[in-house]
Amino acid sequence: MRPLACACRTVVLLVAFGMPAHADEQGDLDRIPAGAAETPVSKTDNGSPLQSTLYLQNDFSGFEQRSGLVVPLPENTPLSWEERLFFDARVEWRLAPAVSLVYSGRLNFRAADDLPFPDHENIRHDLRETYLSWQAGDGLYIELGRINLKSGVALGYNPTDFFKASAVVEPTSADPSVLREDRLGTVMLLGQGVWNGFAVTLALTPKLTSPRPIEPDSTLPSFDPLFGRTNGETRFLAKASVTLSDDITPEFLFYAADGETRFGLNFTRSFGKQLVGYIEWNGGERASLIHEAIVFGRDTGALPGAAFAVLPQNGAKAFRDELSLGLSWALEDQITLNLEYHLNEAGFSGNNWQTWFATGTGGDPFVRNVLWYIRGYVGDRQVPIARSGLFLRASWQDAFVRNLDLSGFVQADTRDASGLAQVSADYDLSRTWSIGALADVTFGGRHTDFGSLSSETTVLARVSWYL
Amino acid sequence: MCNAARRAFSGVLLALLFTASAAAESAQDIVAGADRVRNPDKPWHVTVTTTAYTSGKPTDRNVFSVYAKIDPATRQFRDIVLYVDPPRDAGKMVLFRGTTLWFYDPASKDSIRIPPQEMIAGQASAGDLLVENLAVDYTATLLGDETIDDAERKTRDCWHLELKAANEAATYNRVEYWVEKTSHDPIKAKFFSDSGRQLKTLYYRKFAPSLDGIRPMQAIIIDAVDPTLVTTLDFSGGDYRDIPDFWFQRDYLPHVKAE
Repeated sequence: MRPLACACRTVVLLVAFGMPAHADEQGDLDRIPAGAAETPVSKTDNGSPLQSTLYLQNDFSGFEQRSGLVVPLPENTPLSWEERLFFDARVEWRLAPAVSLVYSGRLNFRAADDLPFPDHENIRHDLRETYLSWQAGDGLYIELGRINLKSGVALGYNPTDFFKASAVVEPTSADPSVLREDRLGTVMLLGQGVWNGFAVTLALTPKLTSPRPIEPDSTLPSFDPLFGRTNGETRFLAKASVTLSDDITPEFLFYAADGETRFGLNFTRSFGKQLVGYIEWNGGERASLIHEAIVFGRDTGALPGAAFAVLPQNGAKAFRDELSLGLSWALEDQITLNLEYHLNEAGFSGNNWQTWFATGTGGDPFVRNVLWYIRGYVGDRQVPIARSGLFLRASWQDAFVRNLDLSGFVQADTRDASGLAQVSADYDLSRTWSIGALADVTFGGRHTDFGSLSSETTVLARVSWYL
Repeated sequence: MCNAARRAFSGVLLALLFTASAAAESAQDIVAGADRVRNPDKPWHVTVTTTAYTSGKPTDRNVFSVYAKIDPATRQFRDIVLYVDPPRDAGKMVLFRGTTLWFYDPASKDSIRIPPQEMIAGQASAGDLLVENLAVDYTATLLGDETIDDAERKTRDCWHLELKAANEAATYNRVEYWVEKTSHDPIKAKFFSDSGRQLKTLYYRKFAPSLDGIRPMQAIIIDAVDPTLVTTLDFSGGDYRDIPDFWFQRDYLPHVKAE
C-alpha cells in the first residue's frame, strides 16, 4: 500500500504544479543518503589459512499425532515436543598451499518428552565430514576421508544422489533442501579433474563395517561416526560432465554397489530468462523397495526370515527408473516456483498399497512391525514410496519487508492425492541473528500414503546466532 | 540489461581517442567505450561492499568477491560472485556463464541452476554484481545529447542512449544510459523489466585510478518502486588475477576459495 500511496501523492503534486524538467532526476539525487559518500570498511576475504562458518541454533518443535491409524504403529510412543540446541561448524584449515583439512559437524543438546533427562542421549555429535584435500595440479584434486558427495539438479528428489541413503540423522525439517544440509558423508577416496569444458569425478567407498540397523532417534549413540550407515558396503561412483555450450552441460553417471549397477543423467536447459527445465534420472536392474527393505531387515537382524511372507512381493530384479522432471520459474517480484514430477518404479504399486492396508488391519503385532519397518526403510533411503508424485515449491525473498523470506512446498502422491505441505518464514534480525518458524501437515484419507502416517502436524520455532 | 554494479567496475584509456572522434562514433561504439571504462579486458578480481539504506539510514551490509574473465569467443564476461559477509552467507556463490546461472551453497555442497530473472529481482541483486559488456549484450540507439547532473550534482555533458537486449544473456530488457562525451564515463542508467516497468536508477561516481584506468569506485542504485530504498556498491581491492577458464564450471565451484 505504501508505494501506491506515494504514487497517488506524486500525481496530485504534478497536476497541481506541472512537471518540471528533470524532476525525476532531482528526486533521485535527493534520495542518495549523505552517508553514502563515505567508503565503508568491510570484512574482506583476506586469505586466512583458517576459514570457518560457525553458528549456534535453538529449535523447539511441537508435534501432533494422528489418531485412529488404519495400521497402528507397533510401539506407539507419541512424541509431543522436542527441544534441540546445537553448535554447527564447517572449518577448512589450509595446511599447505595445496593441502587442506576439512571438518564439518554438529554437536546437539536435546531433550524430548520421550527422552529421560539427564542421560547420555541428551548429547549427540554428527560427524558430517573430515577429510584431507590435495590439489595435485591445475584443476586436479584428490581427497580422502568422510566426504559429502552430492549429485543432482532437482530440488524435491535427487535420483542421482547415490550417497543419500541412511545419511540423514534426526532431521529438523522434512524440507528436502534442509535434508541435504545436515547429513553424514561417506568415507571415500575421491579424485576429480576439472578442465575447460570437461570434468570427471571418481569416488571409491570401501566397506568399513556391517550395515547398521535402522534405529529410532531416541536411541542414537552420542559420539559415534555411524560408519555402518554410510560404509556398510563397497561402492563406486563415476561421473563426467561435458560443456557442449554455455547452456548445455549434461552430466553422465555410473554407480556400482554390491550386486547393483545404475546409470544416471543430469541435464538442465533454460527457456528464456524466466524458465529453467531440468531432468535427473537413474536406471538399473534392481528389486522392489519392499523386497530391498525385508532383505535389509533380515541382514541387519531386525527382521526374521518369516518377514518375507508378510507382503507378497517379487524378489526378481528388473530395470527400474527413478526420475525427477522439473521446471524453475522466476517471477518479477522475487518469487520463484519449482514444479517437479517424480517417478520411482521401485516404489509401491496400487496393489502393494491395497495389500499393505489389508494385511495391517489385523491385530498381529509381528505383521504390523514388518509393515512399518518397510515404511521406515523407505524413509531412511530418502526415496519416495510413491511410484509417481508431484512436488511444488514456492519461495519469496524479501517478502513484504527486507530480509524476510517465505517459502512453502507440497509433496503429493498422485495415486491417492495425499501429501505433505510445509510453510516456513525466516527473518534476519541483524548481521548475526536470525529467527524462523515452520509448520507442516500431512493430509489425505486414512487409506492413503501420507494419510496413514502417524505424524499429522509439526510446528517449529528457531533462533540462530552466527559467530 | 545490467545494472550498475554489474558493470560496476571498468575499463579504460581509450576515452581520449573517443573524445576526438565523438561525432563519428556510433551508439554501439559509445557503449563499448563506456564498457572499457567500467571493465578491464584482463581477468580480474574486485571486492564489492553493498550497503542498503532505508529512508536514508544504513540497514544492511554485505561483502562479495567477484572474479571476472572475458570469453574470447563471445566477448561476454564470465563471473563468479563469492559471498564473504555476513557469516550466514559466507561461501555461497553465483556462477554466471552466458545465459547460465548456478547458485552454490557450501552448507549443502550443492548447486542448483536458477533462471536469469532471479538475478535482477530485488533492489541490489546478484545481477548488479555481475560484470557485463553492454555493447555485446545490447543494441544501442542514440536518443540525443543531454546535460544532466551526476551523483555529486556536477553537470555532465552526455550522450543519452537507449539499449535493447540483443541476446538472452542480457540481464534487462531495456536500459536508458547516459555516457559523458569527453571521457566515456558511464554516469547514469535506468533499468526496465520485460513488462516495461522501471526497476532501478543507477549512478556511477567516485572515479579514481584502478587497474590501468580511471574507473567508477561506487555505484548507487535507487529503487524505482519503493522510494525509501537506496543501495550503494563500493568497489575496492581490484587486481588482475590469473583465472583459468575451468573455474567457470559448476564442478569447480566447491574448490573456489576466498583468497
